[in-house]
Amino acid sequence: MKENEALIDYEPHQLVLYVEKADGTFGPLQTGSFISKNYIEDFWDKMEKLRISLLQQVQNNEISPIEYYRIIHDFNIFELSSRSGVSLFKVKRHLKVKGFYKAKVSDLLKYAEVFDIPVSNLFQVITINGRDNETKDGLNNEKRISLRQTKTKNPYLVITKFELNK
Amino acid sequence: MIIDSFKHNMAAHCESGTLTALLKHKGLEITEPMIFGMGSGLYFGYLSRTPNLNFPMFILRTKPGKLRKKVAKRLGIKFKSEKFRNPEKAEIDLDALIAKGIPVAVQVDLYYMEYIPEWERVHANIHFITIVGKEGDYYTVSDSYFPILTKLHKDNLRKARFAKGYLAPKGFMYYIEEIPKAIDEKKIIKRAIKETINNMIGVQPPFIGIRGMRMFGRKVIGWPKITRDVDHLSHEIMKINIFLEDQGTGGAGFRFMYATFLRQASQIFNSPELDGLSKKMMEIGDGWRKISYFAAKIGKNRDLGLEKLSELSKMILERADAEEQFYKELKIVVNKLN
Repeated sequence: MKENEALIDYEPHQLVLYVEKADGTFGPLQTGSFISKNYIEDFWDKMEKLRISLLQQVQNNEISPIEYYRIIHDFNIFELSSRSGVSLFKVKRHLKVKGFYKAKVSDLLKYAEVFDIPVSNLFQVITINGRDNETKDGLNNEKRISLRQTKTKNPYLVITKFELNK
Repeated sequence: MIIDSFKHNMAAHCESGTLTALLKHKGLEITEPMIFGMGSGLYFGYLSRTPNLNFPMFILRTKPGKLRKKVAKRLGIKFKSEKFRNPEKAEIDLDALIAKGIPVAVQVDLYYMEYIPEWERVHANIHFITIVGKEGDYYTVSDSYFPILTKLHKDNLRKARFAKGYLAPKGFMYYIEEIPKAIDEKKIIKRAIKETINNMIGVQPPFIGIRGMRMFGRKVIGWPKITRDVDHLSHEIMKINIFLEDQGTGGAGFRFMYATFLRQASQIFNSPELDGLSKKMMEIGDGWRKISYFAAKIGKNRDLGLEKLSELSKMILERADAEEQFYKELKIVVNKLN
C-alpha cells in the first residue's frame, strides 16, 4: 500500500500501518482509522437499535437483565460463566426471566462485576425526563447533564448523581 | 515516579510493539517487523467451533504469548515473567519493579483501558501494555495503540490484569533481564520464515493456514444463517475490516508488516529474490485491504444478499490462491539463502 493511500485524517482513533513510502522503502505510518472515520455513526446506530430492542424485551419480561448485558458485552454463555465464576448451569438459568427471579444476590454481584456496572443497574433503567423512548433523540440539551454512579464500601449500595455540565 | 529513559512509540501490534519497545529500552536496536517475522507471527486460522467465541472468527497471527517465547528462544533474550493468584501481590511486585526503574509489560483485558475510545474497547484478554511509572493511584502506561504516554487508575489495571475468561491474563507480567551480545540474524530469519511457510502451507488442521483461508471463504456465505438479523450480520461482516485493519495488524492482516520484514531480511541477505517477494507480499496485502473495504461497504449499506457475499467469498478464495503460490515461491527462495 502506498503511503498516500493510507493517510486518513481522523485524530480520535490513530493506528500504525506499514506502507510503501514515496522513496520505495517500506516502513510505519501513523494515520487515522478508516472504519472509525467513515462508519462510526453506523456502529452507534446499530448498538443503539440493539440496546432498545433488548430493553424492550426486558420490559416485556421476555429476557432477563443478565441476557441483556450478555448480548451488549458480546459474551457467549461459556465466557460469561468463566468470567463471573457462576456455573454454566446457573448462567443458563439466570438468562431466563424465571431463573433470574431466583438468582442469589451473591451471583448477581459477580455478574455486575463482569458487566462493570453497579448491581442495582440489573433492576433499573436510569434515564432523564424528556428522553423519548430511551433513545438519544428527543432531548436537545442532553449533553448538559451527565450521570455518575459511585461505588461505596457496601457492594450493594451505589450513589447515583446527576450533574449539570457547564 | 516515571521511567524517563523509556521512549514511547506507537506500534502496529501490541505484543510485538511492547516487545520491541522493551528491547530498545534495554539497548537492542530492532524493528517491530523484524520481531514479528523472527517470531514467526504470521498465521491464519478460521475458528468456528471454539466454545468461548460468540461467533466464528478468523485469526491472523499466532497465539498470544507465542511470539514473545519464540523471539526469546531464537534471539537468546532472558525474560523474567510471572503470573499471580493474588492481585495485591501482583500490584506490590509491579510497583517494586517500577521503583527500580524497570519497565514492565503486563497482559490485560483491553476493555478496562479507559484512555482508549469507547467503541474500540472490547473484552479481549490478550492486550499488552508497558507500565513505565506510577504517581499516586495512577500508573503511567505506554500502549502501542495510543499516541502518547497515558494514565490508568490502579483499580482499572487490577481489573484488567485479573479479568477471567478465555485466555485470562492471571496477572501475567514480564520484563527483560538480559539481551544477547550478538545475534545470528541470518540463521534466525531462515528458521522463522520456514516455520511461517509450514504454518501456512504445511500439514496443518483444515482450519489453519491456506486451508483455513479457503474454509473462511466458503463459510462466509453461510453467515446469514447464524446471525440474529441483518444488523447483526452487518456488524459481523464489518468486523472483517476491523480484524484486518484496526486490531493492531499494521494493515491487511499483518501482510504489510510481513512484507516489511521480508524487505529488511532481503537487505541482510542481500537477496534481490527476497526483495521481489516482499513487493509481492505488499501486493497480496493490497488485495486483503480491498476485501476489508468491500466488507465495510456492504456491511454499512446492508447489501448482504447472496450475490455480495459470494463476491466476498470469491475475493477471499483468490487471496488464498495468491498466498499459496507466494509461500511456495518463498520456500524455494529461503532454501537458497546463504
